[in-house]
Amino acid sequence: MMNAGLRKDPLNLIITGVGGQGNVTISLVIGNALVSEGYLVTIGETYGASQRGGPVMSHVRISKETQYSPFIPEGRADIILGMEPVETLRMLRQFGNPDVLTIINPRPIYSIDVTGGQAEYPDMDELMETVKQLSAKVWTINATEEAQRMGSPMFANAILIGALVGSGVLPLDKRSLDPVLREAFPKEVEANMAAFHKGVELVRQ
Amino acid sequence: MGMEAKGCKELFQGVIDVGLCALCGACAGGCPYLASSKGNVVLVDNCSRSEGQCYQYCPRTYVDMDAISQQVFGAPYAEDELGVAKEVFRARSTDARIKEKAQYGGTVTALLSLALREELIGGVVLTKTLDDKTPTAVLARNADEVLECAGSSYMACPVLQTYNHIPSDDNCKLGVVAVPCQVLAMSKMKVEPPENRVSVNNVKLVIGLFCTWALSPDGFHRFLRENLDLSQVKKFDIPPPPANRFDAYTVGGKISFSLDQIRQFTMPTCAYCLDMTSEFADISVGSVEGIEGWNTVIVRTDAGSELIEMAKARGKLETDGLPQENLAHLKEAALLKKKRALKEIIKRSGDKKDLLYLGLPQRLVDKLLA
Amino acid sequence: MANIEIDAPSTSQLLIGNEAIARGALEAGIGFAAAYPGTPSSEILGSLAQVADKLGIYAEWSVNEKVAMEAAAGASFAGIRALAAMKQNGVNVVSDFLANLVMSGIGEAGLVLISCDDPSAISSSNEQDTRPVAKWLGIPLVEPGSFQEAKDMTKWLFDLAEEIGTICMLRSVTRIAHARGNVRLGELPKRPKKARFDQVHDARNVLPTRLMPIPSALRHGLLHLKLGKAKEKFESSPFNQYVGPDKADLLVITCGSCWLYSQDAVKALELEDKVGILKLGTLWPLPEQLVEQHLDRSQKILFVEEIDPFLERSVMELVANLPADSPRPVFYGKRSGHLNAYGELNPDTVIKAIASIMGVAYQPRDSEYGKKAEDSTKGHVPERSITFCAGCPHRATFWAIKNALKLDGRDGLVTGDIGCYSMALGPAGFFQARTMHCMGGGVGVANGLGKLGQFGFDQPVLAVVGDSTFYHAAIPALINGIYNQSDFILVILDNNATAMTGFQPHPGTGTTAMGKPAKVVSMEALCRSLGARVEVRDPFDLKGTTAMLLEMVAEGGGAKVAIMRRECELVRGRKEKPPYKVHVDPDKCIGDACGCDRLCTRVFLCPGLIWDKKAGKAKIDEVICTGCGVCADICPQGAIIKEAA
Repeated sequence: MMNAGLRKDPLNLIITGVGGQGNVTISLVIGNALVSEGYLVTIGETYGASQRGGPVMSHVRISKETQYSPFIPEGRADIILGMEPVETLRMLRQFGNPDVLTIINPRPIYSIDVTGGQAEYPDMDELMETVKQLSAKVWTINATEEAQRMGSPMFANAILIGALVGSGVLPLDKRSLDPVLREAFPKEVEANMAAFHKGVELVRQ
Repeated sequence: MGMEAKGCKELFQGVIDVGLCALCGACAGGCPYLASSKGNVVLVDNCSRSEGQCYQYCPRTYVDMDAISQQVFGAPYAEDELGVAKEVFRARSTDARIKEKAQYGGTVTALLSLALREELIGGVVLTKTLDDKTPTAVLARNADEVLECAGSSYMACPVLQTYNHIPSDDNCKLGVVAVPCQVLAMSKMKVEPPENRVSVNNVKLVIGLFCTWALSPDGFHRFLRENLDLSQVKKFDIPPPPANRFDAYTVGGKISFSLDQIRQFTMPTCAYCLDMTSEFADISVGSVEGIEGWNTVIVRTDAGSELIEMAKARGKLETDGLPQENLAHLKEAALLKKKRALKEIIKRSGDKKDLLYLGLPQRLVDKLLA
Repeated sequence: MANIEIDAPSTSQLLIGNEAIARGALEAGIGFAAAYPGTPSSEILGSLAQVADKLGIYAEWSVNEKVAMEAAAGASFAGIRALAAMKQNGVNVVSDFLANLVMSGIGEAGLVLISCDDPSAISSSNEQDTRPVAKWLGIPLVEPGSFQEAKDMTKWLFDLAEEIGTICMLRSVTRIAHARGNVRLGELPKRPKKARFDQVHDARNVLPTRLMPIPSALRHGLLHLKLGKAKEKFESSPFNQYVGPDKADLLVITCGSCWLYSQDAVKALELEDKVGILKLGTLWPLPEQLVEQHLDRSQKILFVEEIDPFLERSVMELVANLPADSPRPVFYGKRSGHLNAYGELNPDTVIKAIASIMGVAYQPRDSEYGKKAEDSTKGHVPERSITFCAGCPHRATFWAIKNALKLDGRDGLVTGDIGCYSMALGPAGFFQARTMHCMGGGVGVANGLGKLGQFGFDQPVLAVVGDSTFYHAAIPALINGIYNQSDFILVILDNNATAMTGFQPHPGTGTTAMGKPAKVVSMEALCRSLGARVEVRDPFDLKGTTAMLLEMVAEGGGAKVAIMRRECELVRGRKEKPPYKVHVDPDKCIGDACGCDRLCTRVFLCPGLIWDKKAGKAKIDEVICTGCGVCADICPQGAIIKEAA
């Protein structure tokens, strides 16, 4: 995929999920790849206490002109990579707009509020319908399922990076990812590279 | 039973927090939320259910005495002072080891040992007095373990909690030795068997004890610790009136306390109990006033009769007639307890028609109040 | 963490603010760094420790910030450039030392304090602005407004500290510390390092200290002179910048991460030609002449800064001292209510403030979409409360504590402390903790409660601390409890990690920050040597632990220690496979029926257990479950089955 340049400056990407899913790894890989292609990238993340099963969102600001703040303003997300369905919805509610592009891994992770009976997890069919209603385009990538098939749920990260890159929403060349991926996943490099390519394949189906 | 939804919230409001709890243990141990510990029933975690078996089987929530009597005896609630009594006599164990350890005649120990040996039951839930003289409930599986439990405690002990702890898929045939409030709770369970707990159909034998009142394990044990060297105490006894004494038999001899000192530790709930002889048991056992070393025995059901006959046939139990005077006194005492309790209930409720937890036929109420 | 020692000057790296600070320290040629883990500061020492060996410098995790700061000062006294890094609470802990350090001055080598605040207390027990500490104690203060500045300021601060002879402070916040951005690297100097302690003396003192101790009051005067010099340098610092029209309808005065938000806001509102932004990097002493010049640009001034209206107040003081006939601008900010006075800021709050002051309307997105987004997601986005990880030993410990205290029946309580286990304040830890303040605070509070028997107090008291907290702050309080015979139990949750902040080592773990083997300071040996009864238990033995605690609270009689020892699951899970395969037998599970009422999913709250509403049964989430098997021991029906893996 050729480097198409920034269709919008800044380009705002949100990666959202649950603490422990590997959100940070994805943003790091994407960020490093973009910096190597000469972009100014700011990544804002919430961690610390939120790691313990709380929501984690990464805001990635991509620009050729200036270093943006680590927060995407309300309603200004261009791309949402949702590693968990409810978190995807949460981001769309606050940061979505008619042009937002969404990649979603439709595997629920139940919070203790849900398992504890205080809250209800929404019906998945309704949720997916809402995601479609609130996005200009949606790619559904069963990353966790695929990852488990490959042997471990942790491969979902590489699969989703593949999906993100393969979809063409980012001004990234697949080749920029290679060295960055190898550095990010020093253990099981080949398996993760395979997962990355699987993600590219899945998003293009 | 069949009333509006009530659960542990109502149990606390209506029974535990208002001094009516008998510490029988029926509500405890059947779920993770209620436990009896250090003389109190406590809520270990919050249960969110609006209704529960804890409320249902409590002997101080609505009790339909007729329904229970139908279940146990196939007849409405007896108006006799002693309840349904097929036979009343005195008995004692023939085993010297049992007699040595026993409070009075060792009848309960002898019957249980036989029942276990003959595999009529595989285990029995009963009270054991520990070295520090606190009572604890145990599940005994053989005659030796039963023998360790011989002797009266006088302090309330949540025996039914230990019964509830038995895994729900356990099939072992069971015996239970219980005081009247516990027998009442057990009887409620027989009327409407519990779910998700050990099956009440496993209970093949209920031996009830005579009881006028029980002492609070918390308060009374502190009194004992403050006034006695418990390591020297071999046995406690409350001799029959007019003695008005609580005796502690120590290595160095007998130490007596006036019952007037002890009465302050009576569980408040006992004032509202009508049952002195465990009227819904298979066999009820107590002392014999004025005749040391014997038990008064009331046989109530077929299961009870069968065991007694077996015990006699095997030479495990020596029996004799109960003197008329004793029988008369027993009936008098039992009737007095009913009358007193009813008066206290009405005093507390403030209304003759409101008997708090008690579902008694009106004619019986009128008769008792007359 | 990024590799901060790469020798590639002029290249651009994606670094988080903390890594940029660490890189700046390396480019300044430091030799010594000390810290205690604290979000959002931990990565500063963390990244330095990773490269320390290779670069021939020293980096340590000290037991607490006080020792870290003092140790760094020691290095400075002996001529080695040194840095101490901490979160806002650490600054509180070092304040007494700082109050004296500003009097003594530093050594020949620069000494820098990095303070990382946590607006909104996302990972903190309190929300606190440390910039006033600089003003309070007399410390030159800077705040970086970008990742590049985080590096450049840190480097420059060492020079400044040496030039004026006193400790200097850099204040950062989470959104710089943990956010990532492009940083152009500089050179890594080959700076010779020879340590020698001569005297605590800086060339700027009038009298050498060796002759006689200079009275503190006089030293205070000398400090004022130093601060005056710092102010002079700040007037011409390149870290203070203005972007905007000559004359503006609104002047934004900002610092730190708020500079980025302000830029975002002005751009979103398309007011670049009407709103000017003065970004200050050198905050205190305030470069008054510089600020005065810019005050002319507008009659309306909006202060955008994190946590306290610190800059706002400093500029107010300046304005109050201007000649009477000077124009008095209108100030907007936290004091006027245009920005929230507590909780962190973000571009949206700044947008709203500017829009309101400028009287312009702002539409973040298509309003129809906005309404659709609100309506269609209403009620469909359940909260995601935090809890202990699946397999966490703390869950088991607090379960045992809860059971023991309930069975004891005297309304026993737990005084909480700082760490993952702070979650015991909530449902994760069954609401057991009833207080939480600072590191070690819970043990101190327990000391007080344990002496109230004479006033009729009879509630059992448990003070819970983590292993790292124990070494950090609990020991003096424990000694107090033994010496003054206070009736409480110190429960130490020994999971062999400083887990909350990222698994940093501590005196109990056997390694140092730089990865070298370390002497293990045995907590039970230490506590026993103090004369206390000490028990060590595995919290996964729920029954045994509950029984032990029940017995200990009944015993009374002076401070005791119960160590709950089991490795943090996140650490264990990286090394070993799950010990058990766990599943729920749906035939035995009675769900919400009487006898269970969903104990495992409603009360125990392990994220590995989920409630299948349709089936009315609990089940294990195989992706989350770590196979610890503890839930099998709490199920009242024995429906949770654990099989050795």
